Amino acid sequence: MSETTEEKSQIQVRFITQQREYTVTDSAILVPTNLRRYGLSEIINHLLGFEKPIPFDFIINNQFLRTSLSEYLIKHEISTENIITIEYVESMLPPTPLSSFQHDDWISSVKGHNQSLFLTGSYDNNVRVFNTSGECLQTLVGHLAPIKSVSWVTVSDDSIVCLSSSQDRTIRAWQASLVDKNYKTLYECKGHTGSVESVSVHPSCTEFASASWDSSILLWSMDMPEEIEYDILAIPSKKRRLNNSEIKIKKPITTMHGHVGPVSSVIFDTKNHNKLYSGGWDHSLRIWDIEARTNVDTKNCDKSVLDIAYSDKSGLIASGHSDHIVRLWDPRSEAVVKLAFASHKNWISCISWSPNSQFMLVSGSYDASIKIWDIRSKTPLYTLNPGGKENLDNKKILCIDWDLDIILSGGEDNKLYLHGSKTIT
Amino acid sequence: MVRQRRNGSNKQASKSSPNTQQDVKKESILSSRKSSGSKGNTALEKRPAKSQLPREEEDSEEEIILPNVDIDLPSDEEQEEESEILSTDEEIDHPDLSTEEEKETTGDSTESEEDLKTLNIASDEESENDDGYIVGDSLDEDELDDMENMKLTDDNNNDSDQGKTQEQYITGANGYPRRLLPEIDPVYDSDSSTENPTNTVGNIPMEWYDNFPHIGYDIDGKKIMKPARGDELDKFLENMEDPDSWISVKDVLSQENVKLTDEELNIIHRIQSGEFPDSNYDPYEPTIEWFTSKPEKMPVNSTAEPKRRFVPSKWEAKRIMKIVQAIRQGRIVPGRVQVQKPRYYDLWTDSDQPREDHVMHITAPKMKLPEHDESYNPPEEYLPTEQEKEEWENMDPDDREKNYLPKKYSHLREVPAYGRFIQERFNRCLDLYLAPRVRRNKLNIDPDSLIPKLPNPKDLQPFPTSFTLSYNGHSGRVRKFSIDPTGLWMVSASDDKTMKMWEITTGRCVKTWEVKETVYSVAWCPNKDVWAFAASFLNNVVIVSPTKISDETIFDNTVQYITSAFANIGDNEKRDKLVEWLKPTESQKSEGFLVILQHKHNKTIKKITWHRKGDYFSTIASDASNQSILVHQLSKHQTQQPFRKTRGMVQDVMFHPIKPLFFVATQRFVRVYNLMKQELTKTLQSGVKWISSLDIHPMGDNVIIGSYDKRLCWFDLDLSSKPYRTLRFHTKAIRSVAFHKRLPIFASCSDDGNIHIFHGMVYNDLMQNPLIVPVKIMRESHQIVENLGVLHCEFHPVQPWIISSGADHSIKLWT
Repeated sequence: MSETTEEKSQIQVRFITQQREYTVTDSAILVPTNLRRYGLSEIINHLLGFEKPIPFDFIINNQFLRTSLSEYLIKHEISTENIITIEYVESMLPPTPLSSFQHDDWISSVKGHNQSLFLTGSYDNNVRVFNTSGECLQTLVGHLAPIKSVSWVTVSDDSIVCLSSSQDRTIRAWQASLVDKNYKTLYECKGHTGSVESVSVHPSCTEFASASWDSSILLWSMDMPEEIEYDILAIPSKKRRLNNSEIKIKKPITTMHGHVGPVSSVIFDTKNHNKLYSGGWDHSLRIWDIEARTNVDTKNCDKSVLDIAYSDKSGLIASGHSDHIVRLWDPRSEAVVKLAFASHKNWISCISWSPNSQFMLVSGSYDASIKIWDIRSKTPLYTLNPGGKENLDNKKILCIDWDLDIILSGGEDNKLYLHGSKTIT
Repeated sequence: MVRQRRNGSNKQASKSSPNTQQDVKKESILSSRKSSGSKGNTALEKRPAKSQLPREEEDSEEEIILPNVDIDLPSDEEQEEESEILSTDEEIDHPDLSTEEEKETTGDSTESEEDLKTLNIASDEESENDDGYIVGDSLDEDELDDMENMKLTDDNNNDSDQGKTQEQYITGANGYPRRLLPEIDPVYDSDSSTENPTNTVGNIPMEWYDNFPHIGYDIDGKKIMKPARGDELDKFLENMEDPDSWISVKDVLSQENVKLTDEELNIIHRIQSGEFPDSNYDPYEPTIEWFTSKPEKMPVNSTAEPKRRFVPSKWEAKRIMKIVQAIRQGRIVPGRVQVQKPRYYDLWTDSDQPREDHVMHITAPKMKLPEHDESYNPPEEYLPTEQEKEEWENMDPDDREKNYLPKKYSHLREVPAYGRFIQERFNRCLDLYLAPRVRRNKLNIDPDSLIPKLPNPKDLQPFPTSFTLSYNGHSGRVRKFSIDPTGLWMVSASDDKTMKMWEITTGRCVKTWEVKETVYSVAWCPNKDVWAFAASFLNNVVIVSPTKISDETIFDNTVQYITSAFANIGDNEKRDKLVEWLKPTESQKSEGFLVILQHKHNKTIKKITWHRKGDYFSTIASDASNQSILVHQLSKHQTQQPFRKTRGMVQDVMFHPIKPLFFVATQRFVRVYNLMKQELTKTLQSGVKWISSLDIHPMGDNVIIGSYDKRLCWFDLDLSSKPYRTLRFHTKAIRSVAFHKRLPIFASCSDDGNIHIFHGMVYNDLMQNPLIVPVKIMRESHQIVENLGVLHCEFHPVQPWIISSGADHSIKLWT
């Protein structure tokens, strides 16, 4: 009898993995159904013969196993007589806080480059460049209003080119030396009538797009403008004098109208270079064709889109919303929303895909927390509270960027936080 | 003939003279004693009793009865004839006399009837006795008495003599000695001397004595010897000799032949012939109708009245005597009414006595049961402390929770009388008497059915549901704020004498203006092309255009639009005495101030309201009597005073979003003026006491007002001047109400710290009433400071977001 009950509570599984170094035998193994992730991980470690155990996560039908095997089987009505294929991946280790770089004001935007350089835009109207040791290599002064978005264009060993957009309705292209304190504004882009919320550079570095509160998306070329264009009428002489008089003014190539409210975010498709995605407060996510300069598709949801991110690994768009939900969109399919993840307690102000994984993304929210998601799991993998758990003031997270293995976040508490995260591919 | 004869014979028997009557009696007795041995005799003896009644009748009603007898008795008569012939001759001797006598007696007296009856019996018997018994006829009654006495004396004499001489004893039959008594010697003339000794053996089979010489014992116990008996020849001879032998029967007891009497022979003869043995029995007697079967006119019963009818009843007398005795002894009290004893009263019953049902009867409320602390010896915890006692005594008697103080007594006997007893009982009675007790009929209505069927709030999305962020920076009450028409910026006015401009989505304070005075009101110009807002402090209104944030072109347009009218300032001074339009100083200009309107009435301006086109705006200073409402034109720097005279204190004004209407809310009414026709078109009667705020639906046909007495009234202008709905959900004064510009939601905020969100759908169909559904309450959205909660709320122009400001110095965004 005891044997039969044991048999009943056992199931044949076949373990597979995409990580070559952790491959185990292909044959089916009989395992008790009451095992959870930890038990299965022990089995894998035993099979591999590791002395120092490596934690694994287990995926059945593209879903993380978060319960015991039996509960999962009952829930999904899977027969225990079949062989179940379980994929396993090395667990993501909890992110470790690395360091934090103090700023003078709220950090509205951050971008990292190869884990070596970090570009931040701040509400004190300045753009800063940091290196990993927290050294502020450059402070780019020029904007008249808080910076809303920054973006890398090119990075060489001793100099960088970057873009910054600001509430003063302009986008500036900067060229800065990493060796000394020299920097200059390459050109100033004028054309928006509202705060420029987002700027995104085309993968080919020939064009960039900007989204603004004036509900328009402008497309700009990277080329240096031929002339310094003075707009006498628009800029009073005093102001002109105040600015660097040699600043060249750039005009947009084209304007794309479609959104009926402020556009909060714009991003290029890094695979299909002809595509541009944008999200706005009018609850819509729009897909634009750059060549035709038309709104190809519009996907609507219930709430305002506050930030979007595109992953070239999975081809999916993740968006953060004002109803505290992270939504996943597949721009290639007709379906509106692919998945929705709810766990945040306030607006999701920023979102970023992992550059290494097609499943992982990170989101930052006004509830002062950062959550790391694996889209195969309905619950977040980890929740980070950069300001500490007792962040009573709820210092809002305004920006986030996943740069290789480092998660960068900045917000209301004037600090750029660096979290180390070893991700799985 | 026959009858007569018969009568005669009857009479003969009875007719014997009074003297002889007694003799006859005696004889009859004797004869009966004599003939007791024979059956025939006994039968004869019984007869008279049977025949008594008919005889009686015969005597009284001769004529009626007799005819019947005629036919029946021929044989009898013959017999009787015979017997008469055979019987004594004496009777025939004086038939006349007897008849005479009889006639006399019958005619004379009925009293002697009874006597006669008895006589008849006797005479009957006598007449039927045979001759042998008439031996003693000669004896008188007196003689008989004498004889008896003599006999007694003789006996006595004999006894005395014998006792003197000797006493003889013999051994009796039982073995004991028996005194032998001397033979009674009957004296000469003794009547019984001639008589045969009477055998006393009784009615036994006499053959028992066949072998004995005697045949029994006489009365003295002497053997009666068998009479001598001759042989067969003697018998034969005797028979031959005796002519009566053929009518003789041997008497077993006496062993002698006894000659049968005529009567006995007659009986025998009758039996043999199958007739009734009694010749006098008439089986065919006519029925006597004691109670007649026929109806009678005068029903008189022929029966004699019984004696008991007129003799006092003995038993009744006895019974009455008993009662009389009982009354005398007092066991019976006359006149006392029997009272039924009351049944036991159930002291511990739960309910009152069940009363018969009556619609109007309502039982009195029960008295409160005593509690523990009313005990004479209450538990310690019920006893008041000194402090409590003191408090109680100092309290006004009417305010006291209980009108007694629990007190402890060691014994029940030490408890004093309760002084307030009468007063309390009086009050109780007074209460019962005065309190109108009404029977209420319960309504059997399901309370759920009364609630209107409202859609689920989830289906009415979107509306703000949760807190998103707060705009921190003010250090005083935020009285008012205003969201710019694009929905990106907000400016707030605070008691800390500053105005702040905020980025709505991030909560970032973009700009701060320091003003010397409390800023009461701010309002963005609704025109999107004019980047400016108006703010009020003291009697000043400033038009401010925030620099650096907006597009330069718009900014420049704004500046030009607002300040261009300064060119004809000279005219202004002449014609406009209400308000002075001032140019800002240089320092003010750098902060974006464009125009300063200095009101001449010098009263604090509480509110600024813009016309939808952004050219006209109205200012309210409620204290400034007829200048409390002024309408300014921004482009021309002109001020108008629309009302010469204000009715009541102006609380709020609004321009109609579409039509040229102007809404003025005073304390109790909302008046609607047509600006084109310059007339009052409508007065909305709110029914509230103090209107605090007013808002108009973007379609323009519905108005909501909030009031300081907690009510929110929704007016449908097409429907009525009375509120379509009055919502009373807040627990404190409503400070502000607001419609969303695009979505069907409206909100109210109150001093209780709550913001209520309602779904307020207005349909294009005029027949359909607006739908109002409460969808969300933001509880404790702001802290209550000095009894002030949420001071202002306003919807985002596009998004379903609401922003609220409170007395706790904060502004909050709800999404």
